[in-house]
Amino acid sequence: MKRRQCLTALMTGRLAIAWIAGANVGATHAAEVVPAIADAVRQRLVDAPVVRGLFEQRKTIKGFRNPLVSRGDFVVSRSQGVLWRTSEPFLSSLVVTRDRLLARQADGSVATQLSSRDEPGLRAINELLFALMATDLQLLAHRFHFEGELQSDRGWRLVLLPRDASLARWVIRIELEGDRFVRTVRLAEATGDTSVLQFAAPVAASALTRAEESDFE
Amino acid sequence: MSRRWIAAALLWLCVVAGVAAHQWNFWRNDRLDTDVLALLPENEQAPEVMFATRQLSESASRRVVVLIGAPDWPAAREAAQAWRDALRSVDAPLKPSAASAQADAVGTLNFYAPWRDRLLTATQRALLSNSTDAALLQRALAVLYQPGVGARVSEWAQDPLGLWPQWWSARASETRARPRDGELWVSGEGLEWVVIPMETQRPAFALDGRAVLAGALASAQNAARVAQPAARVLAVGVPLHAEAAAVQASREVNTIGWGSLGAVLLLVWLAFRTLRPIALVALSLLVGTATALSVTALVFEKVHLITLVFGASLVGVAEDYGIHYFASRQGDPKAKPRTLMRALLPGLSLALATSVLAYLVLGLAPFPGLRQMALFSATGLAAAFLTVVCWFPWLDSGTVPKSRFAEAVAASIVRWPRLRPTRTAFLTGACVALLCAAGVSQLRTADDIRQLQNPPAELVRAQIEVGQLLGLPSVAQFYLVSAPSAQEVLAREEALKARLDVLVASGKLGGYSAVSDWVPSLQRQEADARLTAHVETKVLAGVNRALGENLARPDFSARPSALQDWLAHPVSAMARSLWLGEARGVHCSVVLLRGLSDPAQLPSMGAAADGLEGVEWVDKVADVSALLGRYRRSMTALLLAGHVAVLSLLWWRYRAAAWRAWVPTAVASIFTIALLGWFGQPFQLFNVLALVLLLGIGVDYGIFLLEHQGDGAAWLAVVLGAASTWLAFGLLGLSATPALRAFGLTLLSGIGLVWAISPCLRCAQDPLHPESPR
Repeated sequence: MKRRQCLTALMTGRLAIAWIAGANVGATHAAEVVPAIADAVRQRLVDAPVVRGLFEQRKTIKGFRNPLVSRGDFVVSRSQGVLWRTSEPFLSSLVVTRDRLLARQADGSVATQLSSRDEPGLRAINELLFALMATDLQLLAHRFHFEGELQSDRGWRLVLLPRDASLARWVIRIELEGDRFVRTVRLAEATGDTSVLQFAAPVAASALTRAEESDFE
Repeated sequence: MSRRWIAAALLWLCVVAGVAAHQWNFWRNDRLDTDVLALLPENEQAPEVMFATRQLSESASRRVVVLIGAPDWPAAREAAQAWRDALRSVDAPLKPSAASAQADAVGTLNFYAPWRDRLLTATQRALLSNSTDAALLQRALAVLYQPGVGARVSEWAQDPLGLWPQWWSARASETRARPRDGELWVSGEGLEWVVIPMETQRPAFALDGRAVLAGALASAQNAARVAQPAARVLAVGVPLHAEAAAVQASREVNTIGWGSLGAVLLLVWLAFRTLRPIALVALSLLVGTATALSVTALVFEKVHLITLVFGASLVGVAEDYGIHYFASRQGDPKAKPRTLMRALLPGLSLALATSVLAYLVLGLAPFPGLRQMALFSATGLAAAFLTVVCWFPWLDSGTVPKSRFAEAVAASIVRWPRLRPTRTAFLTGACVALLCAAGVSQLRTADDIRQLQNPPAELVRAQIEVGQLLGLPSVAQFYLVSAPSAQEVLAREEALKARLDVLVASGKLGGYSAVSDWVPSLQRQEADARLTAHVETKVLAGVNRALGENLARPDFSARPSALQDWLAHPVSAMARSLWLGEARGVHCSVVLLRGLSDPAQLPSMGAAADGLEGVEWVDKVADVSALLGRYRRSMTALLLAGHVAVLSLLWWRYRAAAWRAWVPTAVASIFTIALLGWFGQPFQLFNVLALVLLLGIGVDYGIFLLEHQGDGAAWLAVVLGAASTWLAFGLLGLSATPALRAFGLTLLSGIGLVWAISPCLRCAQDPLHPESPR
């Protein structure tokens, strides 16, 4: 389930430059059948309206000597969106909903705010995002080639390679590993940056708490 | 005397031969102009404003934008594909424009990259100036730790605050269309739309009345609907307006021209019953029209279609001279043609002079279309007159037989009621005066640009919808920025933009487009470069401290981004038309506004230019309306002066009887104005111009009747002339162009009234002539 978060962030990161890059935010190739491997993976994933958990992110940025390590927790709601709360090395939060993207700093000040009214590309990105959250692997298959295999009796591994050149200008490769939940995401960007996300203590739930709902508003 | 006649006839033959040669050339080289702005006035005060307007409209003159919408994106693409295939199969002169979805993104990015440190949005500038170093450092760190792909188009150390992608985002708001799957895409009204920019291959023109573009677009639209029944297709662009105007004009030229010609020839045949008068009257009309066309083409280079529409009504006016001649011949069969012509000449000349003067007055208003109409009509009348005077005595021989129709008409003058100073007459007069006063009191004026242009409602609706979907800037209102140097223009744009940003923030305005968005002024570039260098060096130092890194800010170009380089590079294609360049030492640009849907906001937009040197708010719609109003008033004054002048002229020739020729036109004019009031029609410039024309034409009837008092032949000429004129302007009243319609209807009512009133005021008895030829 967590692989969706990663892709969410991946997509939102690109929207500011969707225009200049000519990024095919909704590249749809002739509808293909969902690869067999994706289908098998979907059967192993838990299917829940809300998933919560902890994350650790290691980002390696070109030009930096040391990797950037951050920790925190996340909430994914299939109907509302994604809530990403970093607690280390400092507090910050990122909210992605159907219509906007909002990053807050520790003092509550807004660092980044985008709405689909200002940036039409955001809606197409969110189209993809919500397809992902609803475990729509068919839509994901429109944008990426799938490779991978099932491991042991519960595990699996997927490699996603972008189909479209304009998408490959940003992402070279995404690797996902997991069992009932996504456990690890490895992301290789065209700039040479890489990220490794590890997820821990995932819990499936049926609804958001009131506090979480207010965070989405 | 006879020598003079020969010389005149030969001289006129030479002129007509010249006209014929010119006509041959004219029709081979396409010299007709379908410019939809033909009737729009030239700007009187500022040539730059005119230049700017023309430049803006020229950059759009071949562009057609098509939007194909469907409930979802794959369906929209399918419909678009069907649309494209269908368009290709009908071989329309419409091709996808070169600069479509596949822009060279990398090249564009590389062009601006050396000046990244000099390009800031207003929001960024405020943020960097007003934030503490600590807050900015915190912001940079937060972005670094954000999950996913960094929104970067450069090395991190080159842009630690992520300013560059934001700047691009702001530039991207120039249009709401975005690249998607090799198409341009926009979302709105609950549909997903494929945007297809097209260009016409040749100027849209169809005097044959065929709508080539509209036809091709309609069949492509059908194909799209077959592929996707829920699809909607919107097509907009100047070529479509031009084609619609051309088709309409061609239809109207035919209706008015052939309709009046048919009526004239029928009347001539009924009255004179032989072929010769028909052939000769037709000849005079042919020479008149051809000469008018040639002279207009020579003076104006191109002839507007709207001139032809108006000019077609000339057929119904220029026939007067020929008919008058034949009516006299019929009335006095023994007179020799030349002798007769000599007798007719003073009356005919006076009639010509008043008509030509009236037509020329139309040309006083600075509307290029009207000026052409004035010249066209004046020349046409003069040429028809000269043909009658110089040639008819030579070409006409034998007798003109009497016909029952002609005799019945000629005799009707005797039975026509004559106004006598009785109580009934005074009572009728008082009633008419009362009716007129009541009508005039209800009169309202209107000076609306829509009188001049009347594009099909469907095109206008599509235009509005596409403008809203794409967030296109309006070109009817803009700021014109001018200065002695290009740099000063950019600086002045920036001063204006500072005010516009306030209006944008308050939601009164969606946004704006200006050259300085892409190439800021040198001062602005230097200031922003200093600001980013200062802030980013601090942020980098902070990041180095916090994360134990050793990052350094790279050098940016030491040379500023130059306007000339930008203009010469393909990257400026999108915004280049905003830069008007230099004319007579003055550099000019325009700043366009987006999201300006509420006309109530226009005054505050105009106020934004107040006190800014070299910045002028141009509101084409308001300008045209003001101009129409000004000319309506001055032309009304001229109309009154014209009446005085005509009355003096008549006094000079007819003395105490002068009022008999003038009163019919005056009464008809007032009654026509009253009719406008009664029917709730606005009183506009074009009504005034029509009344000027009525003065010129209407007085002729009075003149003919006074010149040949009690002469049934003169009355026959007046009846035939008035009937054909009346019909020609009645047909002009069917025109879809409101200005021409106002013209036609005013004259329809005016001429009808003059025709009815004139004989009532004839003299009781003229001792020199018998009351009736019978």
